Amino acid sequence: MRNRFLLFLVVLLTVSCFAVPLQLSSEVGIHTDAWKTRMEGFTNETGIEVEIQQFPYANYLDQLMLGYTSGRVEIDVPYISMLWYPALSIANYIYPISDIPGYEKIDESDIPGIRNAKLNGKTYIVPYMNELGGIIYRKDLFEDPTEKTNFIAKYGYELQPPQTLEQYRDIAEFFNRPPDLYGVTLMGRRSIFLATHFMQRLWAKGGALLDLNMRPIFNSEAGIEALEEVKYMFQFANPAAMNYDFQEALNEFISGRSAMAEVWTTGMFYVEDESRSSVVGRGGFVGFPRPEEKLGEKLPMLYISWGFSVSSAAPDKEAALEWLLYVTDTQNEVEAAPTGNIPARFSALNSPALAESFPWIGDFAAAMENCIPTPIVPLIPEGGSIVSGIIAPAVSEFLAGTKTAEQALNDAVKEVDRLMRDGGYY
Amino acid sequence: MKGDQMKFGHRSRGYSYILPSMVFIVIIFMIPLTYTVVMSFLRWNLLRPDLGIRAAGFSNYVRLFTDPFTLDTVGRTFYFVLGAVLIELIAGLCIALALDTEFKGWKIVQSVLLVPFMIAPVVVGYVWRFVLNSDYGPIIHLFRQIGLGGLVEKPLLSNPSAAMPVLIVADAWEYIPFVTLVLLAGLKAIPYEPYEAAFVDGASSLQRFYYITLPLLRPSILVAVVIRTLTSLRVFDIVFIMTGGGPGTASETLAFYGYRTAFQSYNVGFSSAINMLTFAIAVVFTILYMKIIGGGKKYV
Repeated sequence: MRNRFLLFLVVLLTVSCFAVPLQLSSEVGIHTDAWKTRMEGFTNETGIEVEIQQFPYANYLDQLMLGYTSGRVEIDVPYISMLWYPALSIANYIYPISDIPGYEKIDESDIPGIRNAKLNGKTYIVPYMNELGGIIYRKDLFEDPTEKTNFIAKYGYELQPPQTLEQYRDIAEFFNRPPDLYGVTLMGRRSIFLATHFMQRLWAKGGALLDLNMRPIFNSEAGIEALEEVKYMFQFANPAAMNYDFQEALNEFISGRSAMAEVWTTGMFYVEDESRSSVVGRGGFVGFPRPEEKLGEKLPMLYISWGFSVSSAAPDKEAALEWLLYVTDTQNEVEAAPTGNIPARFSALNSPALAESFPWIGDFAAAMENCIPTPIVPLIPEGGSIVSGIIAPAVSEFLAGTKTAEQALNDAVKEVDRLMRDGGYY
Repeated sequence: MKGDQMKFGHRSRGYSYILPSMVFIVIIFMIPLTYTVVMSFLRWNLLRPDLGIRAAGFSNYVRLFTDPFTLDTVGRTFYFVLGAVLIELIAGLCIALALDTEFKGWKIVQSVLLVPFMIAPVVVGYVWRFVLNSDYGPIIHLFRQIGLGGLVEKPLLSNPSAAMPVLIVADAWEYIPFVTLVLLAGLKAIPYEPYEAAFVDGASSLQRFYYITLPLLRPSILVAVVIRTLTSLRVFDIVFIMTGGGPGTASETLAFYGYRTAFQSYNVGFSSAINMLTFAIAVVFTILYMKIIGGGKKYV
């Protein structure tokens, strides 16, 4: 009896050693909910067990960083923001996925923005969710015959989703009828959200944050114009928008109180959410406008992406790659998308099945094809500090009237310069 | 000789009594403090482990004390601390005096009074954001109803000159009950005899308050003020929720600056230097209070 029990224990221990589940981690969010629907299918198909740890977005990166720094993290496949991988890869916390045998089975050419996932020619993250900063607008208002007539009478051209910055300004002014309807919803709270308004305009006007030598150059003429344009647009927004974050901005739009919202594609999920939106079926998406003279050019546009990476400490990297191959497969992306994801692959975006669920997906795919997907922060470890810690307060100071555009940007440039020097860039 | 041995025995027994608490203090207080001091002399960025952990000498402190932003942030923090503690002390004292008589429903009033203090600061932040919302916030609505809408035309939390006062009010709302309770306990502990004597001597109620209540309440005031000053210096939650340090840098306090440096820039060394500055200010405040309010007596 005792021998049998010992044998049972030995078998149990041996099995548990071999059947260590693949550990995934993520934030709590809708695109995570989407790929979680694939976990069971993956286990059925490959026999590999998977487990997931989720953290609130606000402290997910902190948890990862502190865990990796202390060597106590037991995560094989962290699902992370594209913005985080430079710091994690430089520290060798994550592994170059392209070095795992079999990686060539992942068709990179089908994934827009994949160039952002590479460092020194190696891929560290496989995008799963891609989205663009742009404008969500009220299709019903834009297609209303009376509105169209009134608009053409006032501005001399047809009302349509804004393609140029000039049109964007006119349309925001036209629909600004407070307090029932505002021209546009913006996010004025001092945060990375506010910085997006500046960055989009900076890129549209041909400016950049850093030059090729990593020196800050955003206090250029384009930068000053971009900052002034942000302030200009706030006059067509609800005064309360000066303290809005992403969620509050969306709430205003989905309650039907603004004609446009300058957010990003995920916002469309909220528009279509019957449990809280009063504008279901009435939303459209268009990429961020550009100056008239740059129509037709491929310009940088705010690109937000989340994807899968592999921890350097992951004991079974082949199993991790199996998961990546499975979950980023076109069919699986299409099937998971209705739960709350915008697939990364063009083949999934252009799938007829997806267009049925998301009528707006074609506009998004078109915007994606006609831009240079550019992450909001430079893909260096200091990127987040530059945008959240320096640019956002600078934009906020200008909006608050405590500094001129030139002062705010010059001061910010000095801070970035010091940060880059400390980081040994020059 | 025997007497010396007895003295030593008494002393060692005394030390053995305080040993557990000393061990506790060392573990809970001294180790983290020492660690922070050490880190403040390092150049350590969690985002750049490739650069390693390097000795920084006094460079973090040099940067801290030469950056005009630090001085501005210290100024804003003082503004917040002094504003909040003053309001809480005055309001808390008034309420404590009003409640210092037993009346029907006294316990209910006391319980209701405690409600804001029971709420987590994060929730307090959200409540005040809602209350001040320029679309549907009741306070803004009230201002408009009484014809003062012009004062709040620009949302208060987005107004650089109004953001900090609003944070002070929100913080005071949360902590007035705490100050009230501490002072009320102090009032209950004051013996009745001095009042009787003063009454016999013909002292007015104002004189009784000034010459009896206030001096005898000093220890309680000291406790309330020290605790509130120390916690106000660390204010973070309501700043994070209500303004995010903005607009611009109008409501950025030392604790928020420390957070931003630690968790946005991951600059552990410089963030530790900021925390050491906060600690030093807290020590100075405490000593000052003990001298001014405590009158040199050992109350704590």
